[in-house]
Amino acid sequence: MVRALQWIVLLACCSHAFAQWADISNVEILSDPTELAGLRVAIEYDLNAAAVSAAHPVYVFVRCTTDGGQTWRRLNPQFLRGDVDLVEKPGRKSCVWWGTQKMLPADVADLRVKVRGIPMAAIPAGRFEMKSIPGGGHDETTTRRAVSDLPLFHVARCETTVAMYVDYLNETARAGGGWTERMANPQRCGIIRSGEPGAFTYAAVPGRGNYPVTGVSWYDAIAFMDWCGLRLPTEAEWEKAVRGGLFLDGDLSRKVPNPLPGRKYPWGDDAPDAGGVYRCNFDGPDDGFEYTAPVGSFARFNSPYGLCDLAGNVAEWTADWYATSHHAGLDGFRMVRGGSWMALPIACDAVTGATQLPIKESSIMGFRAAR
Amino acid sequence: MTNNVNRRDFLRTSLGTAAAWSVLPSARVRGANDRIVIGVMGLGGRGTYLAEAFARRSDAEIAWLCDVDSRRFARVRESVGDLQDRQPKMVQDFRKVLDDKSVDVLINATPDHWHGLGTIMACQAGKDVFVEKPMSHNPYEGRQMIAAARKYQRIIQVDTQSRSAPYMAQVADYIRSGAIGDVYLVRVFNMMQHAKVGAAPDQQSPEGLDYDLWCGPAAKLPYNPSRRWLNYYEYSAGPIAGDAVHQMDLARFLLGDPAYPKSVSCAGGVNALTDGRDCPDTQIATFEYGPLTLMMEAALWTPWMKKTPGIVRDSDKFPDWPFSSTKIEVCGTKGFVYVGRHGGGWQAYDSNGELARSEYGRQADKEHQDNFIDCVRTRKPANAGAEQGHYSAMLCHMANISCRVNNRKLTWDADTESFAGDPDANKHLKRQYRSPWIVAEEV
Repeated sequence: MVRALQWIVLLACCSHAFAQWADISNVEILSDPTELAGLRVAIEYDLNAAAVSAAHPVYVFVRCTTDGGQTWRRLNPQFLRGDVDLVEKPGRKSCVWWGTQKMLPADVADLRVKVRGIPMAAIPAGRFEMKSIPGGGHDETTTRRAVSDLPLFHVARCETTVAMYVDYLNETARAGGGWTERMANPQRCGIIRSGEPGAFTYAAVPGRGNYPVTGVSWYDAIAFMDWCGLRLPTEAEWEKAVRGGLFLDGDLSRKVPNPLPGRKYPWGDDAPDAGGVYRCNFDGPDDGFEYTAPVGSFARFNSPYGLCDLAGNVAEWTADWYATSHHAGLDGFRMVRGGSWMALPIACDAVTGATQLPIKESSIMGFRAAR
Repeated sequence: MTNNVNRRDFLRTSLGTAAAWSVLPSARVRGANDRIVIGVMGLGGRGTYLAEAFARRSDAEIAWLCDVDSRRFARVRESVGDLQDRQPKMVQDFRKVLDDKSVDVLINATPDHWHGLGTIMACQAGKDVFVEKPMSHNPYEGRQMIAAARKYQRIIQVDTQSRSAPYMAQVADYIRSGAIGDVYLVRVFNMMQHAKVGAAPDQQSPEGLDYDLWCGPAAKLPYNPSRRWLNYYEYSAGPIAGDAVHQMDLARFLLGDPAYPKSVSCAGGVNALTDGRDCPDTQIATFEYGPLTLMMEAALWTPWMKKTPGIVRDSDKFPDWPFSSTKIEVCGTKGFVYVGRHGGGWQAYDSNGELARSEYGRQADKEHQDNFIDCVRTRKPANAGAEQGHYSAMLCHMANISCRVNNRKLTWDADTESFAGDPDANKHLKRQYRSPWIVAEEV
């Protein structure tokens, strides 16, 4: 007998402040008892960002708790069907959690979920001009090619913000990991820790939620990525995100040639301060920001794919080892790309990189997600 | 052979050196609360590390951060600015640092081709110098650096930091006490894992890099990012010299700091990493000090032997000696000692192969920097002063020169500081300088 679908609202989880999380609200968990397979659990939410598209999808992930929020885990996207992962249209969304075992009402009675989304940009598959100086994270064992090729990938449109990182800490860092005193600096980061070990809580300094998180080690960045199911971009991906492919719609389509495929900066070849116009947040206060700036403050000068702050604000961790013939990865250095609020304008270009030990925590370094 | 004939000779040499230093008048005795003011020249990996390490000290502060590549400024400026109250000034031309009378010390963490001239100019400007290893690009420069230090009464500390490790003093005492008998053979290993460098075309130097100043005394070849300075004699004593000099310096230290060997012979060349480089990737050098033989076995393409692992360096552990790529083996008539770099400790065996003594070690960067700051204040000679830095670097230079003359065995004339009867080899005792960056005969 086919039974009519009767969703039961178990618990509505609050939407959260969305300082560069995608605007997601009205999260509900619905349960449908099936005759043979136990409960089906559906998670519904509103994705309110009007500009969501295939070119600018939102990466949606779901985390849950069954112990009142003491511990949280990410629902494996393999067991979610529907509007998760890359979501390309706004509106009321729904995904079904298939679970990993037959579920009874008791199993989901205490279930709470949080649905979060990160605005991304699609970087279509295709060739691009890779101009990094060999050794800056390159594999030098092969001759460098002027044009490289990458499959489709996605990169977060903004650097990871203080608000996003606070959200992460409040789920994962009751004991204190992932936070350092350096992050409390209200001009350079702005994350305050309160409470006692085992019950720490975290909050953004008022007004700082939309600024990039800094003072994060490479390991911190990786832990955040693991938390949300993403990864750091490689150097090649980072550089393509800055400059764009030979065709901005990718090599399959080839309808939109990149007018400046060898550009030095996300916006073109003009220096960051050419003509008295400030195109990114670099050294000094003349650009309007002595320290970090809210993400997206220089939106007029985004990359061809609509990514902001690749040139300045904070330098960004990448996934790549520093792999020169000299070091050969032995010392464990990782590559950081992009300029920062302390960098000279010329160091905000698409090729300048820096080596850093992965334990380094710096107020000029942050990160953004890739998928 | 008597027990310590060599050792006595070595100690005499060493004492003579110390005596020479001790007669120098103090140039400037500072108050105990007076911070040492430092400029850092070269902001690569090591220069950044040193800038941060000295900025962390309560008795020193960084006034200048200097690199020909201004794209490097932000990283180190941020970290140093966080570690001290004073905000350092950033500059591309190190001469501005030397012009600053308030600066006491220049940290010279440049590529090899700037070690000599940068250090000599700093001495002339009245600065003490903490210089990266190998101390010199070529034999002539090393001698001139010593002359400058003496003439201007400057402290030079070469950053062969293991010389300041307490466990090194311990094992040196053990060996010099005769515990392993006469030392007749010392084997120094230096095995690394480098790779070929891919070719890139010559191109315009990047904006923000003062390439002319970077070249300095070296030829101004077209800019090419794949021309790794470390791999070319134009700029470097080579990757092997750059790392093996640590163990060569320690070997000399363990033996009481002998000056020059009587001869050198070398087998090696660019055998594996054939990417256009001219510095060897494979080198077995033999140095004869009378009855004592010092050997260096080094290569850049050997994947199985590794440097002292991180978990060993600052803990009560020893390296897995057969696979230790930076070990020193000291062979005596009554015993044998393994010595590890990077805090690897040491283990001695008797003539029956039984373990006679084991001591753990720790890395000694801090101790080495402590020693330098102390010497700047007291004007005492530094642990790794210019003379020892020169003699240790000379072993690498001599091996290179033998390699460059078809691996010929060369006899060294210590009186003339040249190879006896070998004009081809002697051509390599001094480099061609590019005006105006010349190391003059009169410093």
